[in-house]
Amino acid sequence: MPETASNAIEFVGVTKRYASSVAVEELDLAIPAGLITAFVGPSGCGKTTSLRMINRMVEPTEGSILIQGEDNRSRPAYELRRSMGYVMQQAGLMPHRSVADNIATVPRLQGASRADGRSRALELMDTVGLDRKLAKRYPAQLSGGQAQRVGVARALAADSPILLMDEPFSAVDPVVRTDLQQELVRLHEQLERTIVFVTHDIDEAVALGHRIAVFAEGGRIAQFGTPEEILRAPADDFVASFVGRDRGLRRLTFASGRELPLHPLADLADQAGRPWAPWELLVNDAGRPAGWRFRDREVTGGTLFAPGGSLREALDAVPLALRVGVAVDAEGRASGLLASDDVLAAAGRERRSRYGVAE
Amino acid sequence: MNWFLNNLSTVGHLTWLHLLQSVLPVVLGTLVSIPIARFAAGRRARGAGRATGRAGGRRRGNGRVRRGVVVNAAALLYTIPSLALFVLLPLILGTSITSLVNVIVALTLYVVAMMVRACVDAFESVSPAVLDAATSMGYRPLRSFFGIELPLSVPVMAAGLRVALVSNISMVSVGAVIGIQSLGTLFTDGLRRDLMAEIVVGILATVLLALVLDRVITWGAAAMTRWQVRS
Repeated sequence: MPETASNAIEFVGVTKRYASSVAVEELDLAIPAGLITAFVGPSGCGKTTSLRMINRMVEPTEGSILIQGEDNRSRPAYELRRSMGYVMQQAGLMPHRSVADNIATVPRLQGASRADGRSRALELMDTVGLDRKLAKRYPAQLSGGQAQRVGVARALAADSPILLMDEPFSAVDPVVRTDLQQELVRLHEQLERTIVFVTHDIDEAVALGHRIAVFAEGGRIAQFGTPEEILRAPADDFVASFVGRDRGLRRLTFASGRELPLHPLADLADQAGRPWAPWELLVNDAGRPAGWRFRDREVTGGTLFAPGGSLREALDAVPLALRVGVAVDAEGRASGLLASDDVLAAAGRERRSRYGVAE
Repeated sequence: MNWFLNNLSTVGHLTWLHLLQSVLPVVLGTLVSIPIARFAAGRRARGAGRATGRAGGRRRGNGRVRRGVVVNAAALLYTIPSLALFVLLPLILGTSITSLVNVIVALTLYVVAMMVRACVDAFESVSPAVLDAATSMGYRPLRSFFGIELPLSVPVMAAGLRVALVSNISMVSVGAVIGIQSLGTLFTDGLRRDLMAEIVVGILATVLLALVLDRVITWGAAAMTRWQVRS
């Protein structure tokens, strides 16, 4: 990831007051260029309001917002908005326009011809992993995940260095959400845009954000830093309670599982008296693990440990009853066994190396 | 049947006049209703709505009052008896009493009475999130209205249009009482000359006209709203 070169967006003493309440108070925040910055916090803490002030969907009461050093009020709001991508919670697609037309919205607003808009849309469908066959469909004919991808493609069409995302994945189911999150990380590595991402889910913020701004009640920023800093040293009780008690577990997300020893698959066979003895690993024709057989019952599925996985993923892959987990190679074929003792020992070492103490 | 075949050209001419007097007011009335309804529906989802409720586009106090006043004032027009209007309008407009203009103006008013409410409902049926998305992508208000809000309100608007058109077709006949030519003329004439066949032809022609025009609107609306998934 590129390290901070400059600030893409800067909030300078921004306050937003409504008749009866203060949504955001005296906000000073510099959002680094080329990174994903997550705004996270409980609902009603002003994170969405702050995001919407960037493209002037909400006008601040006081203070100013600089985009690449330039006040965002120095040009008409509609021009500013066309210059940055915006992804919203429910995708917000135009129901009466086809997928391709939806994606081409901003180029068309900027005066691109129908043909140019269309070819740009098809390119972007490839970029976000959408089948080109969907181009002529209407939004009502898409699944939630597909619609959200169209939303992302539409935002990318603005061809801007800045992408604003307002809880973009909160309305899709957890499996699709993970897919979309990984896709976003991949897109970011490929395109290196500045992304501001609003979420109420600290796990999502940790998974995606290079920087996290934790918003507290009244639009105050309780802490701003890297995910590691926030999990390791919460600035106050509010942040500590917001990131949660299991933050030790979350921290393992940053520890690589590369060092874990892999035991040969054959170990499963001849270990009479071991906890995993009654279990038999099922492997399909392609060599991919399909599940376990326990006496006459087949249990399919189960978490697998893939190359490059973190310690936390290793922990998830080891069922407690078995005390072993299955590791797979890059093609998804079973490649070895993880022992729970090794994983727990590695987690313990990780903790000691970080704090110099055992818990 | 014989009567019908012998008077084919008269019936054809009257059908044409009937068509003119019912369709023209629907077109004019709708064109008048759209801006009135848009004003009554008020600003929806331009960011400001997020202040109080996260749903966006929640109606504020004075907006609700405005909607009520406009919709009810328009609906009041409907309480004026049509015959009274046909007689009164020549005095106001300076037209002759048998002029088609009287019927067209009177029925336009009735269409406005019905369509203002239908159009307000139609605009309110458009998801504020979609309008919000349009604004956030850099749509300016006019383009957003014609490119997004209007096309998306077609389904609800078409439903109102069908009611207005069918009720107009029946109301045009009333003009015949004061001598304005339409299919209604077949009723007054048939009654005076005690010609049952003429009255029956009048009824059938009116019903047929209503059925055909209703289909035309339905098909037209379906063609404009292919994006609605009917699964």
